[in-house]
Amino acid sequence: MDKDLVDFALSYAMSKGIEYAEVRAHSEKSERLAMKNGVLDAFSSAVDSGFCVRILADGGIGFASTNRWTRKEAKSIVEIAYKLAKMAKRKYKITFAKEKGVKASWKVEEKRKIEDISIETRIATFIEMDKELTSQGISIPGRMFSSGTSLTEKYFVNTEDSVISSYVPRVSAYGFITVVESGKSEQAYKQFGFTGGWEALEEWGLVEQMINEAKMLQSVIKEARALTPGKMDLVCGPEVTGIAAHESCGHPMEADRILGREMSQAGTSFIYPQGPFWLGTKIGSSKVNVVDDPTIKSSYGYYEYDDEGIKARPRYLYKKGVINEFLQNRESASKLGTRSNGSSRSTSYDREAIVRMANTYVQPDDFGEEEIFEDVKHGIYMKSFTEWNIDDKRFNQRYVGREAYWIENGELKHRIARPIVETTTPIFWSAVDAVSKRVEYDAATCGKGDPEQGIPVYTGGPMMRIRGVYMK
Amino acid sequence: MSEILAKTESVVKKGKALGADEVLAKTVFSRNRQVRFSNNQIDTSLAWNNYVTYVVLSWKKRVVVTQIANFQKVNLSLNRLFKLAKVSRENPTHEGFAKGKFDYRKSVADRTVDSLENPAEYVFEAVEAAKKMAGPETNTGGIFLTSVSDVYQVSSEGPAGGDCRSAVELSIRAFSGKEASGHAVECSSTLKGFDPARAGKKSGEIAKQAKNPKQGMEGKYDVVFDPLFVGSLLGIWRSMTSAYNVMVQLSIFVNKLGEKVSSESVTLRDVPASYSMANRVFDDEGVPTQENVIIEKGQLKTYLHNTSTAKIFKTKTTANAGIVFPMPWNIEMDSGDINSEELLKEVRHGLYLTNTWYTRFQNYKTGDFSTIPRDGIFQIENGEIKQSLKNIRLSDNALRMLRNITGISKERQHVHWWEEADPPSLSPYILMKDVHITISK
Repeated sequence: MDKDLVDFALSYAMSKGIEYAEVRAHSEKSERLAMKNGVLDAFSSAVDSGFCVRILADGGIGFASTNRWTRKEAKSIVEIAYKLAKMAKRKYKITFAKEKGVKASWKVEEKRKIEDISIETRIATFIEMDKELTSQGISIPGRMFSSGTSLTEKYFVNTEDSVISSYVPRVSAYGFITVVESGKSEQAYKQFGFTGGWEALEEWGLVEQMINEAKMLQSVIKEARALTPGKMDLVCGPEVTGIAAHESCGHPMEADRILGREMSQAGTSFIYPQGPFWLGTKIGSSKVNVVDDPTIKSSYGYYEYDDEGIKARPRYLYKKGVINEFLQNRESASKLGTRSNGSSRSTSYDREAIVRMANTYVQPDDFGEEEIFEDVKHGIYMKSFTEWNIDDKRFNQRYVGREAYWIENGELKHRIARPIVETTTPIFWSAVDAVSKRVEYDAATCGKGDPEQGIPVYTGGPMMRIRGVYMK
Repeated sequence: MSEILAKTESVVKKGKALGADEVLAKTVFSRNRQVRFSNNQIDTSLAWNNYVTYVVLSWKKRVVVTQIANFQKVNLSLNRLFKLAKVSRENPTHEGFAKGKFDYRKSVADRTVDSLENPAEYVFEAVEAAKKMAGPETNTGGIFLTSVSDVYQVSSEGPAGGDCRSAVELSIRAFSGKEASGHAVECSSTLKGFDPARAGKKSGEIAKQAKNPKQGMEGKYDVVFDPLFVGSLLGIWRSMTSAYNVMVQLSIFVNKLGEKVSSESVTLRDVPASYSMANRVFDDEGVPTQENVIIEKGQLKTYLHNTSTAKIFKTKTTANAGIVFPMPWNIEMDSGDINSEELLKEVRHGLYLTNTWYTRFQNYKTGDFSTIPRDGIFQIENGEIKQSLKNIRLSDNALRMLRNITGISKERQHVHWWEEADPPSLSPYILMKDVHITISK
């Protein structure tokens, strides 16, 4: 990475009549394998490297990027970004919340260095997993796995004297299986993600998890019963708690949505100025504490400084059931009269940084896991989910159980086939009356932005009991 | 031969000289411009240029892939790639890349897209059209995108050629109230005839009609889908026609070749036509693209293939490579014989849905899924739009829906937006019976 060229681009930008400029270089070495039905389709290895400049001039923002590392190109993208910023002709000028310059260098350590792991080992890991999976006596005619590693180096400078370098290694894997039994099928998708080295594979227990999924799906086909719809209690496993935290807390708390900047694609929020929900409004029970925290070590969404050079910290989104803090970048923070909380992220040198979650989870409370069930007369334990979605204002959501059980008088009974909770954000979070002690996380790729920027995050939480929701 | 094509060919020759059995190289020089706007003002304008050569190499059926920027470090990259092939594993389903010399039709890309001086004017035109239709308080947001890519493709197996691909897209969502919105798009391969005001006007029309929505009710409805919504539905069905997705059971079409999968009124084609944002003259193996009839009068005729998947299914490539994943380019649904107004008039008690988002499946093989209608949602009574609705979910089955299409309009629109109506399509209005709608409780 030619840091001198990045510095040159910033100097050149400063020679223009600008209010602010930043230059961000991003170099990513990635390796990825793709397998279907036990066969390695292809292995890819590539380095993608480039830099971008973002300029604030005359109250407008211009952004330009290139993967050509030359002075001529650096000058060219500055000229383009400057011209684009001036083109906006905004009535209401954009400003950025004030920040002091930062000088920092940070990196994530790898206990087992990714570059020390041979290609043969990487491939064999997944080929062997497929063999193990298919030797369980279960019919799994559809199997799709992919795994990737990335080594990302970034260099960020801005006109406020920030100079930040970073190095982040990540490991990821995806598995999708179709189990067939007696002519019926069930499917499961699992994602794994880790910031660090190849030690990720030891933590995941990939083979065991995929085998357990296959066995579970077979049991669902064989044993699961249909649910008689009605109001009942719902116990969410950590995976379900996590997706709800992400979808109906994390997303609606993104300040750019709240201000309308994503209105055409990812949508708006049920939280908006002068609306029924705002900072200080109750949205859930006092048991509900949802945090977005980029500083969880080894988490898939880990970072120390965001892509505007702001120090990362935990954000307390819903606190004791009250809307507490939005996810902010410098642009949204300025509009809302506050400061950025370091939520600005980009997936590449050719994408603008926008407001994103990192690791969004429900904080634990003091219930034991058995205690959660004890008090349930009739209900569903939804351990994991399959189909899910939520409207673009993040108010009407639906989660369909992948692994689910009937609870009767505090005891888990038979399996239930794809139970559905379809309800609103306030109903869901207001009905939480018990939260367990132990948090578990799942890796996910959060989608937002146009062009799409799929970004690594964790979703997570403990078990959570929800009283008297309609299930079908 | 252009300089870039010659350099691309040189990559292929160097790969072969190392001992590779086959080498594909595709150099893409793309220039993209996007204006993003919200609250009737431009938020940011972006430009991203990329200059990349994608290389696929096979050696003893081991398939490896890399990318090279700006023809820098070509020898180093190819040496690494060949070493990677040597330690990789055989893919017994790799049946080689397409062989032969082909004549390609002339690219019809509009290079003036590249030199558009003031894209902001297109945005302002759309915004003003929406405000004119829905009132001065209307709040709009969206994107305006222009893209031009020069593509040079060379294969050691014979195919070699150049293509230019251009795309123009304006997507606008207009709000006449917090819960009343309309979304419309204008998509093309060219600036000729491109009319941003047309999208602005339609988004404003829907937004105006969508005012004061009432809570929708659960039930089964006959539904008229707007072309934008149909674009999303075609996106669902199209992905399931890729032979790859069939092989991993991510498809309702597994083992259904030759069977009736939809009502007889449905004919679906994949056509990378000149009007389309996805225009192209060859696929990623260098095979000339063609029109493929996927569903003809309700019968499933073919999956979409590259050379390898075609051999597995004992057929010929459909020129839809993707090296690993065969993919559709631009889906067309054949038009019907009545206009959209007549289609609405056929509905006694039903819905008109204009757009959707967040489509997710319980099971891709069986087709059980849900998606969330957004923007204008309208109740139809006796052939007329009576009331704007809100907060509903379409919870149904992809195969059953395909079979329940009872009417298709004469009018069709080229649509694409974000990931929701992707790939681009030529979509009519359609009428579907017994669509299952659910709500939050």
